[in-house]
Amino acid sequence: MRNLWLFPGQGGQNPGMLDQVDPQLKEQVEKWTNVKLLDTAEGYQDSVQIQLSILLLQIDQVDQLKKLGWQPTLVAGHSLGIFAAAYAAGVINKEDIFKLVTLRAKLMQECYPEGYGMGVVVGLSRPEVKKLVAEVHSDTNPVYISNQNSEMQNTISGKLIAIKQVLALAKENGASKAKLLHVPNPSHSPLMQKTADQLNTFIAQLNLHQPSCIYLANYNGHAVRSLKDIKYDLGNNVIYPVLWETMMQVALEYQPDVSSEFSPGTAFTKLLKAKTDQLHMVTLSAMSIDDADYLFNKWEKKE
Amino acid sequence: MTEEKNWHTHRDAKNARLASASSLFNGKFAKTEDVVEVLNTLIKPGDKVVLEGDNQKQASFLSEALTKVDPERVHDLHMIMSSISCPEHLDIFDLGIASKMDFSFAGPQSTRVSQMIADGTMTVGDIHTYLELFGRLFIDLIPNVVLVAADKVDREGNLYTGFNTEETPTIVEAAAFHDGIVIVQANEVVDKLPRVDIPSDWVDVIIPADKPYQLEPLFTRDPQAITELQILMGMMAIKGIYAKHHVQTLNHGVGFNTSAIELLLPTYGEQLGLKGKICRNWELNPTPTLIPAIESGWVQSIHSFGGEVGMEKYIAARPDIFFVGKDGTMRSNRALGQVAGQYALDMFVGSTLQIDQWGNSSTVTNGRLSGFGGAPNMGSNPTGRRHSTPAWQSLKPDDDPLAKGQKLVVQMVETFGANKKPVFVDHLDAEEVRKEAKLANVPIMIYSEDTTHIVTEEGIAYLYKTDSMEERKAAIEAIAGVTPVGLRSNPEEVKKLREKGIVALPEDLGVRREDAKRSLLAAQTMDDIVEWSHGLYNPPAKFRSWS
Repeated sequence: MRNLWLFPGQGGQNPGMLDQVDPQLKEQVEKWTNVKLLDTAEGYQDSVQIQLSILLLQIDQVDQLKKLGWQPTLVAGHSLGIFAAAYAAGVINKEDIFKLVTLRAKLMQECYPEGYGMGVVVGLSRPEVKKLVAEVHSDTNPVYISNQNSEMQNTISGKLIAIKQVLALAKENGASKAKLLHVPNPSHSPLMQKTADQLNTFIAQLNLHQPSCIYLANYNGHAVRSLKDIKYDLGNNVIYPVLWETMMQVALEYQPDVSSEFSPGTAFTKLLKAKTDQLHMVTLSAMSIDDADYLFNKWEKKE
Repeated sequence: MTEEKNWHTHRDAKNARLASASSLFNGKFAKTEDVVEVLNTLIKPGDKVVLEGDNQKQASFLSEALTKVDPERVHDLHMIMSSISCPEHLDIFDLGIASKMDFSFAGPQSTRVSQMIADGTMTVGDIHTYLELFGRLFIDLIPNVVLVAADKVDREGNLYTGFNTEETPTIVEAAAFHDGIVIVQANEVVDKLPRVDIPSDWVDVIIPADKPYQLEPLFTRDPQAITELQILMGMMAIKGIYAKHHVQTLNHGVGFNTSAIELLLPTYGEQLGLKGKICRNWELNPTPTLIPAIESGWVQSIHSFGGEVGMEKYIAARPDIFFVGKDGTMRSNRALGQVAGQYALDMFVGSTLQIDQWGNSSTVTNGRLSGFGGAPNMGSNPTGRRHSTPAWQSLKPDDDPLAKGQKLVVQMVETFGANKKPVFVDHLDAEEVRKEAKLANVPIMIYSEDTTHIVTEEGIAYLYKTDSMEERKAAIEAIAGVTPVGLRSNPEEVKKLREKGIVALPEDLGVRREDAKRSLLAAQTMDDIVEWSHGLYNPPAKFRSWS
């Protein structure tokens, strides 16, 4: 059975989501990172809390599924999600992944104290959004097209003043939705180069392993099998758009039997449902690991 | 006297290869577990290799084995494949086993194909129509090795390919008579074959497969997924094209639009008194949605490119209609089917993802180099055609003493496709894709000059009646709805085009939108189709409802 494991990034966090997480693992993570994980609405105002909590939730689920004998054929992470994806692919160990993401979250928090962020445009194609971005972008007011979540849903990243101009243009040009996102930095754009440089320095001294499955890279939307490409993605995905639509297109060409979306949320399963009805879909935020295990067993037997 | 030239170097090379692998063979048979070593030994770097894979049947045992050969021994293969359908067809490029590809269709792998061309992992010879690719196997792409799939093989090495004969004989012939090596995977070894589809003389190596070859039910459409808009378009097409032009011989593309038409023949077509007058002889895979029309006496004959999962018993029980051997199973043939589709038909009806302002259409879109399969052969007007039929003749211009008829090539599309993207565009994405993939030609599926009709939910454009490109563009705009192309249309112009008979709206055809109801379909569920077939049709699992 070919299983596609999907790891969402920031956005779906909610207070209490760590209730079911292995308490020992949580304690261990707090020790490794020197961060007390609050798992409260207040806590989730802070992006270090958000990134570490989501990662913890996903790593805990990966461990539980692997303990039951399940392995991914393909892994795909969206933005922050690539770290749990790399862990699931056996590329990086637990301690290193938490330290790496702590660094990443802190760097991202510090890099642009104010005036920068992200927006989302729904209902225009990527070339259409690109054109609007080109009209607004300048050296003093930079804005870039960033994540490609689906064909008609793209984000933009840059200086808020420029983002707002693009959003207004998008509405004039028929976008069904164009709004600011609650993201305090211009993620997935060249403006994050400094963050990438520091991450790469940290990653260079880690002991990483060849992946045990196919990894879908954010930065170019390709299916990759080499450690070199995954390493590049881990360090540099902050400066590239997440080419999610392309990643999913490629993933489907590998003809998976099942997709499994790790917590939190179900957004990527919904996007996938709009593209195909050819595979079974599991969302771990909506069912227990036991239920997922039961379904996997049932589907594997049917093959 | 100079030394005599050796005129049988190919044969010598083939014999040497087979001799070097002889320890792996017992007669023509090799063991299942030796498959990788057989390929390691018989295939040489730079070989032209045909790996059988079309849009339905896959030599999956051999294609998986090919991913496991040693890239030190087997590399830089030039693959020739009518369809790139399975992940492993591209994995051999990632693994350094193959480097060049000539193909027709890559729909199920089109994103990876685009990526591999962009990063240089794959060089593309060309994107072909099926007939071009089959033709070149005998001209300048003569294969060194072919890897094909058979259902059954007897002890002497004769092959039975049955329902899914498809292109196997064509591929095997190109190798067998020019000293290529023919390697066959077989589902089953038997003492007596139902019939011989390919004689053992043409075959070099047979390897029993670990499991039956992969087969896709590609032409099965569940009537429940047909929309009322598609029913409306079907009614317009039947009245405004099929009946108007007396279309008797035809092919339908793969789509819900044409399924709707098939299911409207026994109801709406019957009401119009068209039975026996249209849609008599078909070049078409055995699509289940045609069963009601067959059962109610509309269809005289169907020749098929390939089989269709679940239709076996039904076909066996209807030898008057299908091409069936003495043994009671169908024989298909993609090469001959494509010849028939190009030359012997009144009409081809297809669908597409984009149509440009001039009427060119393509399924190649940004980031997806899909190729086209059968549409470009069947959707082209064979200008060398001689024989006349009422439909062909009805498109003959009357102002030229040497004029001849034309094939009807019909595109049926809704003005907005999946994801609410406009189908009608000023420029095809294919123009950009040509640049990115460095292709010699823009990958157009059906050219404007060959397209005679376009049907949308708005109406029909009779493009063959236009006498300038300006008029052709105006006719397309008139039926392009609220797409950017359609918004250029103005009522004044549409009125003129309707008067000239170049554009017909539903009311011009006497088709009432409110009549386009699901109840008009001869079968509304898969169960209905099974019932029409007297229980002979056995739908594949994924189309069965358990409720």
